[in-house]
Amino acid sequence: MANEPPRDPVKYVETHVYLPYHYVAGDSRAGYLRALKDKKILGSKCSKTGKVFVPPVVNSPESFAPADELVEVADRGIVTTFCVVRIPVTGRDLQLPYVAASVALDGASVSIFAPIQECAPDAVRMGMRVEAVWKADGEREGSHEDILYFRPTGEPDAPQDSYIHRL
Amino acid sequence: MSSLRNVAIVGFAQLPVVARDLHRTSPEMLYPVVRQALADCGVERDAIDFQIAGSVDYMDGRPFGFVAALDVMGSWPPRLDLHLEMDASFCAYYAWLRMQAGDCDTAIVVGHGKTSEGDPRRVLNLQLDPYYQAPMGLDPVSTAALQASAYMARSGVSDRDLASVAAANRTAGARNPENQLHTAATPDELLKTPWAVEPLRSGYLPPVGETATCMVLAAEGKAESMCDRPVWIQGVDHRTELQTIGARDLTQSASARLAAEQALAMAGLQTASEVDVVELFALTPAEELILCDALGLDAQAARPVRNPSGGPLCGYPIMSTGAIRMAEIFRQLSGRAGARAVPGARRAIAHATQGHCLQHNIIWVLGTDRRWA
Repeated sequence: MANEPPRDPVKYVETHVYLPYHYVAGDSRAGYLRALKDKKILGSKCSKTGKVFVPPVVNSPESFAPADELVEVADRGIVTTFCVVRIPVTGRDLQLPYVAASVALDGASVSIFAPIQECAPDAVRMGMRVEAVWKADGEREGSHEDILYFRPTGEPDAPQDSYIHRL
Repeated sequence: MSSLRNVAIVGFAQLPVVARDLHRTSPEMLYPVVRQALADCGVERDAIDFQIAGSVDYMDGRPFGFVAALDVMGSWPPRLDLHLEMDASFCAYYAWLRMQAGDCDTAIVVGHGKTSEGDPRRVLNLQLDPYYQAPMGLDPVSTAALQASAYMARSGVSDRDLASVAAANRTAGARNPENQLHTAATPDELLKTPWAVEPLRSGYLPPVGETATCMVLAAEGKAESMCDRPVWIQGVDHRTELQTIGARDLTQSASARLAAEQALAMAGLQTASEVDVVELFALTPAEELILCDALGLDAQAARPVRNPSGGPLCGYPIMSTGAIRMAEIFRQLSGRAGARAVPGARRAIAHATQGHCLQHNIIWVLGTDRRWA
């Protein structure tokens, strides 16, 4: 009984908060999600600096200029930084340990978050070339989970100065 | 009153208020508005020293959801920034204080939030204490109805009087293209609308809507080049009162009365009737009459003109409704009010409130002239 939560109604009040939400993806993000279904990753290009943001944004957070031109980027890129997760993650059913990485996709100016698999954690390194592993045709539904994870391509590592500004 | 720094509203942009924007997220709604407000002032983002946003994370359903706005406000290089879980009118007060402190000359003040994505009545129920009031199911409409009921009993104001106040707002609001409701209504029409929470009819309550707003404030020396007719802050005061609704006299607003006295004194005025226009953040006709009492205004008088915008009864975007009251005064005093311009308007009051039953009140006295030499 010592581990039971306190039940004494005089000393404690149990409160349940129920707040449903229905988020609008927005036209811009909806276009990006729809493209994932076709194994395409879209970014948006800053009208001032030419930087490409993935996922697309309405403006460059850096330059404040509009970034409404959508461009396709590759589904492969470079591990720019990574960490090895050895503690359970709330809300995701991933086998531990797993590698959480930032991946700069070819053609993108910023990196995205991606799990790295089909590779021992201690073999992952900065500069490693990786590619997306997609859900099978017919199973993709236009969500971030359409990309299962990234895996090494076996190509030679990229030099540090090719990704140091895209961490 | 010692001399303070003259600060003006020099720009304002907003999206028309709608029930639901299906095409954009809240930051996506905000970005074009910030751009527009800056463009109207003829400045780039780097000309702005300080930024502040009003939004409510519970409405978003995201803890620290307000940070989503940073990327669309031009927050790079690193900026002086603040967020308030309050209407943007209160944010403007904070920006004004920062200017009085002398650490910024220009500011953008934004309000945003997609009320359609959550359930505002549930969210605002959670403002109340979690032991007694909130579990009883009180929400802002019910507390406003308790207040209206008490006020009607004390003042003798009738159902028809409330309908007349609501109809005046709706009639004025038909001339304001930014409003959610554009249709005029007569007292008789509103008297036929069903009870929402008696004694409040559905026709006496605003539709909750969403928008994004951006106000630009600038101190003397900067304001003149950013706006052809800056609207100067001549007085301001913000007061709050008890959280326990049952401990307050709901038939009057002590905090609005005191804030008005202080703001008018700062502006060098004796009474609120010396201004030409008043924009009140009243979510029910009863609140509007309580605020008239607090400001010492005769609700029947032709001047000052009350709520030429149509007031909150023509649309209630939570977190921007107070800022829109200031915007209306900016439009009225700077020659931007178009068909609804109040002739000869030179001085005005913009009010905002937060909390249940007019708990917090801010009063702005705004004018075409600088207050301090």
